[in-house]
Amino acid sequence: MNRIMTVKKVIGIPRAISYYGNYPFYYGYFNALNIEIILSDKTTTDIINKGVEKVVSDTCLPIKVYVGHVLNLLEKGCDTIFVPSLQSSAFKINNCSKIRGLPEIIRNVINKSFIMIEPTIDITEGISFKDFCYDIANEFEIYDENVINNAIKKGWEVYNNFNKMTNSGVNYEIALKNAIDGNIIQKSIEVVKPLSVVIMAHGYNLFDERISMRLIKKLDKMGVKSYTALDVKKEDALNSIREIGEIQYWANELDLTGTAAYYMLNNKVDGIIALSAFGCGPDSLMVDEIQYHAKEKGMPMIHLTIDEHTGEAGFVTRIEAFVDMLMRKKRKALEKNNIVEIPQKTVKLDRTLTTV
Amino acid sequence: MSKLAEEQIKRFSTMDDNIPAKERVIAWPRMGRIDIPLKALLLNLGAKIVIPPANSNQALEIGVKNSIEGICLPYKLNLANYIQALDRGANTLMMFQAPGSCRLGNYTKMAQKTLKTMGYEFDMVIFDMYRNKMIQTLHAFWHVTRCLNPWMYFKAFSLGFTKFFAIDCAERMLLYYRPREINKGDAEKCYEKWLKIIDDCNSVILSKFLCYRIKKDFKKIKIDSKKQVPLVYLLGEFFVLLDPYTNQHIEKVLGDMGVEVRRQIMFSGWLEHVLKPSLFYKKESHRERAVKNASRYMKRAIGGECIETIGDTVYAAKNGVDGVIHLMPFSCMPEIVSQNILSKVSREENIPVLSLVLDEQTGKAGYITRIEAFIDLVKRKKMYKEKIKNDRY
Repeated sequence: MNRIMTVKKVIGIPRAISYYGNYPFYYGYFNALNIEIILSDKTTTDIINKGVEKVVSDTCLPIKVYVGHVLNLLEKGCDTIFVPSLQSSAFKINNCSKIRGLPEIIRNVINKSFIMIEPTIDITEGISFKDFCYDIANEFEIYDENVINNAIKKGWEVYNNFNKMTNSGVNYEIALKNAIDGNIIQKSIEVVKPLSVVIMAHGYNLFDERISMRLIKKLDKMGVKSYTALDVKKEDALNSIREIGEIQYWANELDLTGTAAYYMLNNKVDGIIALSAFGCGPDSLMVDEIQYHAKEKGMPMIHLTIDEHTGEAGFVTRIEAFVDMLMRKKRKALEKNNIVEIPQKTVKLDRTLTTV
Repeated sequence: MSKLAEEQIKRFSTMDDNIPAKERVIAWPRMGRIDIPLKALLLNLGAKIVIPPANSNQALEIGVKNSIEGICLPYKLNLANYIQALDRGANTLMMFQAPGSCRLGNYTKMAQKTLKTMGYEFDMVIFDMYRNKMIQTLHAFWHVTRCLNPWMYFKAFSLGFTKFFAIDCAERMLLYYRPREINKGDAEKCYEKWLKIIDDCNSVILSKFLCYRIKKDFKKIKIDSKKQVPLVYLLGEFFVLLDPYTNQHIEKVLGDMGVEVRRQIMFSGWLEHVLKPSLFYKKESHRERAVKNASRYMKRAIGGECIETIGDTVYAAKNGVDGVIHLMPFSCMPEIVSQNILSKVSREENIPVLSLVLDEQTGKAGYITRIEAFIDLVKRKKMYKEKIKNDRY
């Protein structure tokens, strides 16, 4: 009995899909339950290749990456892996089938034996977030309601800290690091950049540095400020979707349509960059929606598609061309604005000329 | 949450009264032969209809031209059907919607937007598959026809339903007789003949005997009863299975190769399951059977026909079926998951599975080569099995 008590409970969390949105919560929750978290390594080409070997070629890149991360965790010797199934976030607002069926894919694709913690959230079917948390705890043989409720509270605490920081404009990685350490920091003073864009992308595509090829940093170097889904409050995103005349259909629509619509309506940005994996079902619809509204508003937009074969050179060229175009457009607009003031002066000049 | 739920429900009831009932000309997207029962149903309610031409290369071209790149094949064909119908004078489009499953829930919204930007004026009537399905359907038909006569409703619906069942009965018989017939083409001719008879039938009482008469007539076809006929299950995505143009007439191709096909999704079965109140639906539905069989591989439904695909494959393996052909449109989200799982099911249940991905680029020659190779494998496996059986006795 004593021995069992001393053995520390361990859970492996793959650094993919829901990690990017929910890790602060998971961290607070598992720590409060006294469960040690093992994270997989950051995405590398090797991890992607291992994932690609296991699944059918039509599967989208994020899922291939996820499988690679699970394999990475198994290599590390972690045999309890957390694979949540996020079915729906509200009544009849579902996730993509592949995210809903993550445990099914992992169970059938990987031939090694391991324990899979596979809790479900499905509001449509009445499985709430609380059930989700209780499911996880029960798997680790924790049945005390007070302990679990306390852990949920701790989880939200970390998550809210993270959210507060990102909403005020702190970088994703810095915010995550500080939220885990229990600090709240403020945004450092920023140099105003000539251009700004909004990136509409899933967190697991954008913040994974290998998948997005450090898109945010690249834009930063080119002198472009990029806004992401993290900078927008969820209510604002939802309201913006309504304001442009659409209705939320996908669970992660707030990250894409919501964010892009919010900045488009506020006229805060010069352009929109859509980043999506090849063959992504929800993205094909959401990007199209935004494209339709961007066209109406005359806002420039580029759609970058990525898969495991995407070369960095071609990717950079496309971004550069887009940024150049934005720059030219802005310069032209500024020149036009200047011309409005100039005629009064030239008229005066003309008079002087005629008098002379 | 309740506000969101309300909003979600509201988005699917976009009926408006701009067009008076007398001026309505109704059309619906094509899928297989569902035009025959729906025609009978709507004509008996006193509506005017337009039937868009069957899906063809021309229709697909129109669809591809007007829809976005990443959307799946069924949407492209649906959109083409709408455009063709509107060009032929339709002003009311009907479509069912099963929200929250996959991209299907977004079809009508997108189609409406696309058609409006193209300058068409129409009213789209959608019956949603949330709750009170039968009432929803009745309401939708009342909305487009404003028919108040209960006898007409009874006649229209019972005719429509029996025609659905009769067509599926004829199809089942065709699938059984085609590989076994001695004179090639007999079964096909018989099927075409019966489709015409079903289409012309306009009496509720006579329609009840259609299934019986079809079975009797098919039994007159001369068959080679000693022929070794391998049995193959056909399963996968709903639209692709039911629309012969989209699956490139796979049933005919297989039948001509001497393979008996059993399609797992029949429109009548689906309709019965969806529309019949659960009080009267006593037998085990297709989905329940699938969930039961798939439990070893899948613990939750993830939308679309994923769980049906897996469950049916396991069911096929249990019943000694020789092979399974899995059809899916390109980039279909639920079917990609099932494709991933199928490779394991195939290995563990020891059943050959062929996944065929269909889109507008699918070439017929390569497609048939793959099917031929698969059927060769299935036949050889069957022969081997028979040999072992014979050696034992």
